[in-house]
Amino acid sequence: MDTPETSLAAIRKEIATHAGYWIALAFLILFPFLVGWYTGSSPTGIRGRPVGASVYWQGIMIQVMVYAILAISYNLMFGFIGVISFGHALFFGIGAYITGIGVRHLGLPIGISLLIALITSAILGLLTGMVSLRIKGVYFAMFTLAFATVFYVLAKNRLLVNITGAEDGFRFEVPEWLNPVRHRLEYYYLTLVVFVLVFVLVRRIINSPAGRVFLAIRENEERAQTIGYNTLAFKLLAITTASVLASVAGFLHVILNNKQAQPSLLGVGYTVDPLLMTLVGGMGTLSGPVVGAMTLHLGETILREARIEIGGLTINIGENWEMVLGLAFLIVVIVLPYGIVGTWLRGRASRHKWWGQLQKRLRL
Amino acid sequence: MRRFSRHERSWLFVAVYFAVLIVPAWLLFGPGTGIQIVFSGLLQGMLIFLVAAGMSIVFGLLDVLNFAQGAWFMLGAYIGFTVYEALPGEIGGGWRFAAAALAATLVGAALGLVVEIGLIRPLYKRPIFQILMTFGLATVMEEAVRLIWGPAPHPPMEKPGLLDSQFYLLGQQFSVYRLFIILVGLVMVVAVMLLLKRTRVGLIIRAGVQDSEMVEALGINVRQVFTWVFALGTAVASLGGMVVVPFRGATLGMGNEFLLAAIIVVVIGGMGSYEGTVVASVLVGLTRATAEYLSLEYFEAPILAEMSILMVMVLVLLVQPSGLFGREE
Repeated sequence: MDTPETSLAAIRKEIATHAGYWIALAFLILFPFLVGWYTGSSPTGIRGRPVGASVYWQGIMIQVMVYAILAISYNLMFGFIGVISFGHALFFGIGAYITGIGVRHLGLPIGISLLIALITSAILGLLTGMVSLRIKGVYFAMFTLAFATVFYVLAKNRLLVNITGAEDGFRFEVPEWLNPVRHRLEYYYLTLVVFVLVFVLVRRIINSPAGRVFLAIRENEERAQTIGYNTLAFKLLAITTASVLASVAGFLHVILNNKQAQPSLLGVGYTVDPLLMTLVGGMGTLSGPVVGAMTLHLGETILREARIEIGGLTINIGENWEMVLGLAFLIVVIVLPYGIVGTWLRGRASRHKWWGQLQKRLRL
Repeated sequence: MRRFSRHERSWLFVAVYFAVLIVPAWLLFGPGTGIQIVFSGLLQGMLIFLVAAGMSIVFGLLDVLNFAQGAWFMLGAYIGFTVYEALPGEIGGGWRFAAAALAATLVGAALGLVVEIGLIRPLYKRPIFQILMTFGLATVMEEAVRLIWGPAPHPPMEKPGLLDSQFYLLGQQFSVYRLFIILVGLVMVVAVMLLLKRTRVGLIIRAGVQDSEMVEALGINVRQVFTWVFALGTAVASLGGMVVVPFRGATLGMGNEFLLAAIIVVVIGGMGSYEGTVVASVLVGLTRATAEYLSLEYFEAPILAEMSILMVMVLVLLVQPSGLFGREE
């Protein structure tokens, strides 16, 4: 039996060992109120209308967490097991499209529709995973790109206009309690809960024995096979999990953004974004994708209005955001190959050494 | 029964593919439209070849898949019409056209050299990052073009007088200019083949594709050869972009449009195989043209055209996981 003192001590120890996570979590929980307090606006808007700085920043933070979920799922494949996919947007879009189709055309409740979307994602993920047994490396990346583009073309084409709404996409209704326009604060906490669950889940997978095998496969698949691991099973696990998580992100994204399912959700942009976020944050690290998603989305939000004046020339950064992204891409690839978190972690050893030497000197 | 070699199996696949899927479609439309489809397919195939040729050889040499090749195609188009329009009219259409083509090729080659030396070379030890680098580079180039020339598409420029006419075959009308592009493509096919098969540099390239470490061990600087091959590839892609301006104008998206087809060609052909690139270009071009006519006929939407080549790629990869003529991994 645990006495209250020991369990309190256990909690204190847990918080001390993972201080960073707990501080981040506390910040995210308090965020709407902190912004509200700082700007003097109400976190719930005014009489149910979504106005004020707190509500605005909640929207941005929700988007950051949605991108973070997407990037975490991409990193699970790309960073941990070493499978490069250029078709991740497929699963993001499926989370939006299948849910929307279920609600709008089949009249199903949103929970059932989401479940169907997740199952579809899992099946498609399994299929792509099985193909990875036969097609490897760049060829696999190309295969996934083609696979995803087929769905993009299908969604965009007028052939299925009655179901998908072709280029315009279609809008679907969600229950009132899930409406981020009216209930932004509730939606914020819903997203936060999902985000924390996803993070903990992926952390649990990576720190489990299966996660160690992921790393072994990333470093040398043949060797992992020789030791006796069924590498296909582990790849299927990683790819399917990543697919389902991407669908969850797609679901949260489409509801936040006007409940409008559009072909662009299946487009290559939502593959490049998580890839870039993973790289900027640090591939193969747990918090890297989250840091990357935050850096890029907050960067875009803040810089959208910014202008640079060079002599008489005014450059509007918002209009050239793609250019900024592309240049950031180049700089990250050349200067910061391990990403923000990766570089920080690699520096830790040398910082420790430096700190130890300092202590030794002081003692002398 | 004798087992087919991998090479023979690939040719067999191509033959069966045409016999079962493509040729029946032509017969369905009758000889007149059939020859239109073949013409259009060859045209598209040659354009895709111009983008894919460099990508394939570069990939074979040092495993760098150049995603920015499409951006060079687009850049070639913009440089081309700019030079063409900057030259005074008295010089004569033919000369202005030739100067534009030369300018596009040279700028493409020069930029290829700079990029290879400045951006790709520092990443030799990190192959995945080279791919990502070219990915980012494609965005930057497209945005730079948008910044300089503006987002609006440029209308088709005039064709030089000699090529601005029509000819007739089986009662169908064909554009001489499009025939000219097919010929340019064929000349490039032969030229690159001669370079690869008949010169010392070509020998080094072919040996490097087989085993670049071994060639380095023999004291040959493969990296240097690679730099020139990279520049050659971008130059050919720029030329390709320039020659399409007279009939479809220049748009920002044209690079990506051809890039996807070129990637498919490189994958179908097998990376690093020149023979494969040529065969796959023609195959993809003809498939696409056939699918275009089919979807116009039956669906009133270009759904088949976009999807057909992706389907072909999936099909080929499932049959031959490293492309038709690629080396076995």
